[in-house]
Amino acid sequence: MRTATGISEQRVWDALGAVMDPEIPAVSIVEMGMIRDVVIAGGRARVTILPTFTGCPAVPVIEQDVTTAVADIEGIDEVSVEFSFEPAWTPDRITEAGREKLKTFGIAPPTGDGPVLITQIGLPTVAKCPFCGSTRTHNENPFGPTPCRALYYCDDCRNPFEQFKPV
Amino acid sequence: MNESLASVLTALGDDELVLGHRHSEWTGYAPHLEEDVAFASIAQDEIGHATAYYTLLAKESGGNPDVIALGRDKSEYRHAVICERPNREWAYTLARHWLYDMADDIRLEALEACSHEDLASLARKIRREERYHLIHADTWTARVARGPVEGRRKLMDAVGEALPDALGIFEPVELEETAVKEGLWPTPSDELRRRFLDRAGAKLDELGLPTEIHAHVVQDAEFVASSSGDLIEDRQSETPGGSASNDHGGRRGRHTPDFDRLWEDMTGQYRAHPGATW
Repeated sequence: MRTATGISEQRVWDALGAVMDPEIPAVSIVEMGMIRDVVIAGGRARVTILPTFTGCPAVPVIEQDVTTAVADIEGIDEVSVEFSFEPAWTPDRITEAGREKLKTFGIAPPTGDGPVLITQIGLPTVAKCPFCGSTRTHNENPFGPTPCRALYYCDDCRNPFEQFKPV
Repeated sequence: MNESLASVLTALGDDELVLGHRHSEWTGYAPHLEEDVAFASIAQDEIGHATAYYTLLAKESGGNPDVIALGRDKSEYRHAVICERPNREWAYTLARHWLYDMADDIRLEALEACSHEDLASLARKIRREERYHLIHADTWTARVARGPVEGRRKLMDAVGEALPDALGIFEPVELEETAVKEGLWPTPSDELRRRFLDRAGAKLDELGLPTEIHAHVVQDAEFVASSSGDLIEDRQSETPGGSASNDHGGRRGRHTPDFDRLWEDMTGQYRAHPGATW
């Protein structure tokens, strides 16, 4: 869509594609599926973001980074960033490219398609090592360095790794 | 600002903030490294949930979430007393964690039908995250309950001690009648309490924990189903203290000296440097 001032939504999405997840700098917030929508009215842009976890401490950083990135676009005078839990962010929102990049960061991407029922939320019974691809792995801790990740160990390549939690 | 909505959000936020603070006290001290990580992470979740409730409250009332969290006097907090109790030992921490997260799941499930859309979607999101707390608490409880006798006995005692306080989670929130009428608190606290006792009773049965624990459940709920009704009747009459545990007070701002110390610690930095950021 092109507005009267000629700023396309795509330009905003492109700018957002360069904003990295502060806790997983290999992946952008677009690849993480965190952008719900972008609305442009005249020179004003509104970006609505779905936080991965409610208590994610990276949220204020993301807000700042998004504001800076979008404000840099010529023709945008005003940026507002909103956070929403509707719909709840679920790991199936992570793009294919995002999943590949998570692996390079030592994080096994979430598995399965679509949001799971609440009763099915839990750690995957089989976790695939992001380094060697082995499924001979075991969970060390359902919690980890951030609310969204659990700690695993690969019994084949003997590397610790993290698994993105299904939520 | 809708006063009953403020009451609901304050109770929810205060529970999570105060218990989150207690959980955080295990950081660096938990019995082993993995639990150190687990409790630090659970604490972060709970404090994050408190932030979300306060942010919503601030949005509705024009306030500031930090001021709500840390700028209030002790008497203005509306958390259940169980949240302020010291961690004591691992068994008590575990018992409280298990009971609290079960109770929280029950009220969040009810809140998914809240008439305030933002609160309903927040409840849906938080409940999915809290699933990991439930799994963690259930795993540990089962492990200890089925393990060596010393741990089992400690867990039994701890559940017995924590249970009366846990029922305080279902003390009605202020202005509850209005909140229920407006659909902001879709299920009355009495009904939530009944669901909680049903679920806790069933889980205790499943773990095969002796009826001393059941007595605490039954004391406040004669309807809890159990396979050994006769024995429970006996135990019930032996249980001292009667319904003293019904007089909770946390939701009306009545706290114990345990909270005085927690509040001093939790808000000390904020009070020394109001409005500071980093």
